[in-house]
Amino acid sequence: MSKEKIKVIISKVGLDGHDRGAKVVAFLLREAGMEVVYLGMYQTPESIVKAAIDEDADVIGLSYLSGEHLVFTPLIVKEMKEKGLDDVLFVAGGSFPPEDIPMMRAMGIDEVFRGGSLTEDFVSYIRNHVGKKGAE
Amino acid sequence: MSVDEAAAVKEKENQENNWDDYLQAYYEKPASTRTWSGYEVKEIYTPEDRASENYKEKIGDAGEYPFTRGLHRNMFRGRYWTRREVVGIGSPADTHERAAYCFKNGGTGLNTIADVTYEMGLDADHPWAQNEVGLTGVNISHIKDMETLVGDIPLDKVSWSLITASTAAAPTMAQYVAVSRNKGYDISRLRGSIQNDPIHFRYCGFRPACPLDLSVKLGSDVMEFCTREMPKWYYTTVNMYDLREQGITAPQEIAYGFGIAMCYIDELIRRGLHIDEFAPRFTFYVSCHIDIFEEIAKIRAARRMWAKLMKEKYGARDPRSMHFRFAVHTAGCSLIPQQPLNNLVRIAYEALAAVLAGVQSLHCCSYDEPMCLPTEKGHLQALRTQQILAYETGVTNVSDPFGGSYYVESLTDKMEEEALRYMEEVDGVGGMEEAIRTEWLDRRFETEAVKRQKEVDNLDKLVVGVNIFTTEEEKTTPLGVQRIPEHSAKSQIEGVRKLRMSRDKWKLNEAIKKLREAAAEGRNTIPAMIEATQAMATTGELLGTVREVFGYSYDPLNIIESPFH
Repeated sequence: MSKEKIKVIISKVGLDGHDRGAKVVAFLLREAGMEVVYLGMYQTPESIVKAAIDEDADVIGLSYLSGEHLVFTPLIVKEMKEKGLDDVLFVAGGSFPPEDIPMMRAMGIDEVFRGGSLTEDFVSYIRNHVGKKGAE
Repeated sequence: MSVDEAAAVKEKENQENNWDDYLQAYYEKPASTRTWSGYEVKEIYTPEDRASENYKEKIGDAGEYPFTRGLHRNMFRGRYWTRREVVGIGSPADTHERAAYCFKNGGTGLNTIADVTYEMGLDADHPWAQNEVGLTGVNISHIKDMETLVGDIPLDKVSWSLITASTAAAPTMAQYVAVSRNKGYDISRLRGSIQNDPIHFRYCGFRPACPLDLSVKLGSDVMEFCTREMPKWYYTTVNMYDLREQGITAPQEIAYGFGIAMCYIDELIRRGLHIDEFAPRFTFYVSCHIDIFEEIAKIRAARRMWAKLMKEKYGARDPRSMHFRFAVHTAGCSLIPQQPLNNLVRIAYEALAAVLAGVQSLHCCSYDEPMCLPTEKGHLQALRTQQILAYETGVTNVSDPFGGSYYVESLTDKMEEEALRYMEEVDGVGGMEEAIRTEWLDRRFETEAVKRQKEVDNLDKLVVGVNIFTTEEEKTTPLGVQRIPEHSAKSQIEGVRKLRMSRDKWKLNEAIKKLREAAAEGRNTIPAMIEATQAMATTGELLGTVREVFGYSYDPLNIIESPFH
């Protein structure tokens, strides 16, 4: 890593208003020494990817709690590819059935963390995988 | 085998089987002696704790002021609690079908919930709505959607709870009344409730639809209209549950819930209503989390505090004005996707606490809440949980069975004391409206939510499947996954587009003009919303028109413009 701190975008997308988890994760990642840009609610795939480019982010973290994960994931991945964010890690958290996790991976999400995840789980995942996406 | 060899083999087996762990588990003691909200409790409570002194004044029999022990002396002997499962899925037709299914299986109250698009005040064909229509509830864009939702349900026989919380509750009420009148019902005889608590809903992601002044205005319009026209209707369900789901503690739930409730009450009094005119139809939505005793104590404390508040602060004289009547939603945030069937057990304990605390109406979460909307089987299981509680366990026999318990009375006092402390803190920052305006309350929610996660990270709070007794995650959801039919959203979007083309433009424009005038002149907007709904105005048009009068963008997301200029 050339940069000192891992930089993470945390965002909601569309109209889903459950932002407790996203805010908590943003806080805990900051506490773990990462730089976090919290975009908040009502974002679009375009606004999220634009922020990732502007901020030169290493990770995009999406929070899905309204069943919108299968709608927005392909749109975000498409936008990331178009804008050349091939080595940015894409992780998602929230509420979705286990049946959807293989689909989400196939769509291009690197890892998912559902409710009941511990801070150590996602902090260490990000530390271990950031910047290595192209190499895998 | 030599003795040494035998000992070595035994030692190896011992290690493999972890028998020492079994021994340790056998003698294990609870690591924490605190309640869920973090209050240290003693190992035993005795008459020395004196919590049940001044019984008549402080506790009282069920049915007597201050109603600590319940609203009715005979409680469930008079009537079971309402078994009311929340339903909202896909299109109005899909939602009707599931609601009818719950009724057919012994549900006793209807309960339909808006989706994110409807709560935001968007019609199904709004560019931002199209991706999300029906994913989390139901969108009612116009009167025909409401007609489809109602279908053949006899509105004079059922009790219907309409869960629209945001400023969109005003259109919801107008749409329900319009359909009822068109079907020939006398609305003064309709029973049910509307959530109508736009102030709290800014904390659930609907801030653009719920600016504070508009929330107070439209929320109070619904309350005032129902007070005058629909005496059997409960016109608000102040949603303490949603606040609790933000991560706050049990006494904070009371304090912040009451703070928001008082914003509406103060406004209704400003409008010239007397407290005893409207307070008897005021209701609350309460969480029941996993700490059984703390939740029972919280609800008992809330009943006592509300009665005192109404009597002492607002001068209520009618005992019904002093009733803290509430529905319970078992705590969605206590459920986890790991080992999902365990959620059935959590829900059952939480429902038990609600019933032991004297609940009026109960929604049990479905076990699949952390995965997807409830499947039909998930809904059925939630209903069955309520039915087992009601018909098998004997909990309906006696009012407030924990009344007089040294522990529960002490904990009730503790909840009251702490909630009062939090209420004073809100007064200290200038009252609830100020706490909201300055985002003081936002900061409080965020701080508490981080604490909750750290408690689980640090093993201060134990959750089976999360930080103890963990197993590899299941690959499938035990009773299947609820999917939203793709054609549901498509047909609804098509429906609103057709309506826009086919309606009588002159009649619509006149109705919208009347609504604009009512809002501008400070009159109650609900009668004009009903008329506009009958003239085929959509949800977005009703709200947009009033929003503009208040100086806000027509569209909460500021993407589309008013067609009426």
